[in-house]
Order: sequence, then C-alpha cells, then structure tokens
Amino acid sequence: MTSSPIVARELVRHFGTGDNIVKAVDGVDLEVRTGEIFGLLGPNGAGKSTIVRMLTTLLKPTSGSASVAGFDVVTDADKVRRSIGVALQDAAIDPLMTGRELLNLQAVLYGLSKADGRARGDELLERVGLTAAAERRVGTYSGGMRRRLDLALSLVHEPTVLFLDEPTTGLDPMSRLTLWEEVRRLNQSGTTVLLTTQYLEEADQLADRIAIVDHGRIVRAGVPRDLKAQVGSPTLFVSVDQAHGDSARSTLARFGELRPSAEGTLGVGLARGAEDVAAVVRALDEAGIKVRHLELNEPSLDDVFAEATGHRLEGAQ
Amino acid sequence: MSIATAITHSTQLTKRSVRGRLRQPAALAPAFIFPLFFAALGSASFNRLARDPYFSENIASSFLNYAVAGAVVQGVLFGATSAAGDLATDIEQGFFERLLASPISRVSIVLGRLAASMVVGVTQVVVFMTLFVVFGARVESGPVGVIGLIVSGALLGLAMAGLMAGIAIKSGSPEVVQGSFPLVFVLLFLSSAFFPRHYMTGWYRTVADWNPMSHVVEGMQGFMNHDLAADQFVKAWLIPLGVSIVGIAFALRSLDKRLAAS
Repeated sequence: MTSSPIVARELVRHFGTGDNIVKAVDGVDLEVRTGEIFGLLGPNGAGKSTIVRMLTTLLKPTSGSASVAGFDVVTDADKVRRSIGVALQDAAIDPLMTGRELLNLQAVLYGLSKADGRARGDELLERVGLTAAAERRVGTYSGGMRRRLDLALSLVHEPTVLFLDEPTTGLDPMSRLTLWEEVRRLNQSGTTVLLTTQYLEEADQLADRIAIVDHGRIVRAGVPRDLKAQVGSPTLFVSVDQAHGDSARSTLARFGELRPSAEGTLGVGLARGAEDVAAVVRALDEAGIKVRHLELNEPSLDDVFAEATGHRLEGAQ
Repeated sequence: MSIATAITHSTQLTKRSVRGRLRQPAALAPAFIFPLFFAALGSASFNRLARDPYFSENIASSFLNYAVAGAVVQGVLFGATSAAGDLATDIEQGFFERLLASPISRVSIVLGRLAASMVVGVTQVVVFMTLFVVFGARVESGPVGVIGLIVSGALLGLAMAGLMAGIAIKSGSPEVVQGSFPLVFVLLFLSSAFFPRHYMTGWYRTVADWNPMSHVVEGMQGFMNHDLAADQFVKAWLIPLGVSIVGIAFALRSLDKRLAAS
C-alpha cells in the first residue's frame, strides 16, 4: 500500500447504459505525492471533473479503485470527506447567505465548536481578503470573491488534501493571479493540491506535475519541463491564404514534422530549431505562397497536448 | 455518525432554510397574501351563508371563522412547495453537492428542509389566526384550539414538504416542483377549504367527500368553531401525520436513489 495521499488504479466511470454508454473516465492510474501540486490538464469534457468527483466521493467508480488520504473512496467515504477540502467547479455557494454564515455552517458540519469555527472563519476571511465583505450576502460578490470564499470554505477544517476543480475558470487575470498565490501559499504550508484546469498557463505555473487528460484517459504525465523537453523542437505556426494551404503544407513538411494547429493555421516542428525560420520564409516565398502571419513558439504544454492527442486545446495555439 | 451530530447538522440546515425563506420576500409573500385574498373574497361573497341555521349551528359562527382553516392550509401548501423548490435549486446549482462533499449526515439534508417547513407552517398559523381575530374571528374552542391548529399546521407543513421534497430530490428541478403545485391546488379547490361540503352537490360533492384534504380542513375548522372533539384531532393531526410519514419516506427514498445513482 502506497503512502501517497491520492492514488487511483484503473479508475473507470461510465454513464448511461447499452448503446448510449459514455466512457467519461476510461482506466485512469494516478499517484499524487505528499506536498505537491498536481494538475489535471484537458479540454472541457475530457473527464477531469469526473475523476475529481470520484476522488471526492461524489461519484462511485464503475470499476477500479482509489484512495485519498489513505482511505478508500468507496468503503471509507466518510473518512475521506473529513480529510479533504473540495472547491468544485462554478463555486456553488448559496447566494442568500453571507460569507460569515457559510463559514460558520461549514465549521459546524466539520465538527468545530462555535468559538473555534468563528475564530477559524475570521482567520480564513482575512487570508482570502474578504473580511470587509463577510457580512454581505454572497449574491452581491463578484466571481473572484466567490472563488476566494469557496477556497476559504474548503479550508475550514484544515484539510491535508485539497481538490480544486477549475478554480480560475471565468476569472479576470488579476483574480486568477490572487488565487494562484493563495494556492502556492497553501501548498508551501504542506497541503497536497490536485487541481483541474483547461488553462495551459495555469498548469505550467502552478503544478509540480501534470497529467494530460483526453477522452477519459491520461495520455501524458510528468513534470511540465520534462514533458516540454520531450517535444523537443519549437513549433512554427504559419497562416497563409486558404488557396495555398496544400502547397504550404508540403513546403513546411520539408522542415520537420507537421503538428496540429488551430483552424486556418499550419504548424511545423522545426527539426533544426529557430535557425530554420529564414529558410522556411524563403521556401514559402519561392513557392509563391503569401504568408499572412508567422509565429515561433518554444515547446509548450499545448505542444505536448497536441503530440499526445493529435489536436490542440480549444482556444490555445 | 451519532444521532447528536445528525441533530446538530439538521438544526443548522433548518436555520439556513428559514433564513433563506425570510430573505426571499417575493417568494414568501404569496404564502401569506393569496390565502388572505381568498379568505377576504370568500367572506365578502358567502357571508350570508352564516345566517343559515345549519351553517351557524354545525359549521361556523361566521364565514370568517370558517375561512381560517382554508387560509392556513393554502398558506402551508404554498410554503411547503417553495421550500421544496429551494431544495431543488440547491441540487440544480450545486450547493447540494457541496453538502455531500462534507461529512454531513445525509438524512440531515432532507430533515433540515422539512423542519424548516414546519417552522414556517407554525408561523403561518400564528399570523393568520392573529389577523383573522383582529378582523373579528373567534377561536371558539379556546387556547387548546389554538394549539390544535398550530400543531395541525406544522404537521401539514411537514407532510406537504415531505412529498414535495421527494419530487425535488427525484427531479432536481425547481420547475418540476413548481409545475406540480397546481395539482395540489386542484386538490385544495376540490375540498371543503373554501366552501362547506354540506352545500355542494353532484360530482363536486362526491370528490370533496373522498378528498382527504376536506377532512383535514374540517378538523382544523373544528378547532376554530366547536367544542373540542376526538374526531377533530384524528382529522387535523392524524391524517397529516400519516401523510408526513409517507412524505418523509418518499423523500428519503428519493435521496437514497439519487445517492446510489451517483
């Protein structure tokens, strides 16, 4: 038995029956080590949230096993719930309650005394910068404030393992940075964090290790730096007129392996690196192909994702 | 999980539900305004009925006295439906899941809502009785009648909240809960809540005779209008109590099924 706080073995979750069966999670193996931030990266519908919902006891696996904080998520679900903090997607918070009331309620549910709950609430409100808004109804909070309150709620009982399901989706850049800082601080104080995200930058900036999830499977896992190094060469993205798409593709293929790219753009992994850029431009020019836009990107997690899945993350190039 | 913990959790969730009700005046108002409107309409339209010897001797001393029970039942039904709608909203918006992710007694999630409906039901009885007395109604059976009516309102609140909570948990949709309310209201209209059965004829009378709501309402009317009799307690307490047991069982079964399906 491993001592890692999050372990999943051949985790499977199907929805529906018969011909309508959807394999949301299709055999996931996962091990998150003590004190690390682990990111599940993938597009909408990849299965990230379903994995989190199984690990947080909200969904029973169809098959496979998982343990969190040393307890089985099915047979010891209540012990798992006492050990973890959970901030689910969309910050489902009662808009009619105040921040303080929600923290007090959460404290009671986790068995804290009234005095301890109040003190812990004060501490957390201060920590997430919501002291001034504590007595206001949550319905008046901004998206960023809700997320911060959601985080505070998940920390009331000082959990050793924290699950954050898309914690910054829909937030403005400033709120996103504030939340990242708080997650880092928590992690430095010893909390193991598993977060899901569809943002490459978030995974890159926050996670010690990531797993790329696509169609219910983990297709790559490791340290972001190592994964990017495996891709090797930088990617040159070129936009050309649609009429020249085929000839541009064959021209670019002379310089390296074609890589998945956003619609209207061609991507090529330059085998000899940045020094090939001038040669590519010349070759395209000689072929009579007019270049509209050209961009050279160092290997990114999106390249890792593209290499692993054959397509890019939606909205990312 | 200990019973004490479950009670603590239920109490906290009851407080939350009651607070939530009070913070939605627009949702709370119909549960008070519509019953009073119907009572005022009934009193204005049918007050001459009180001159009929059968009515004054066997049913009520005035139509206002007669209308109290109907108003209470109507208000409690509104309140219980709104409470179930809140539960469905919790499910739809994810707060229900937040609770499930915590080490809460699962039963408390339902019991908290049901207890809140009882609290609102009692409040409605007190408010309606006070207003009706101010406008000239008399509680003929004295303080015991008042208590009888309050307990009856609480039990009816529990019964309807149980049934509606079951629908809320099963569907997870506030729209389905609201959509089922007209059925309950039809049941009320086809009872003696607004007009005495004695004066009904034809199929309307037959339906009202078989409608359990008629008997609950008449039991409650008895608390307002007669000396106390055992059959009033049977009608006004035991029928809602029986439906409460069925309603709670339905709600908890729906919860079990929802949890098992997840």
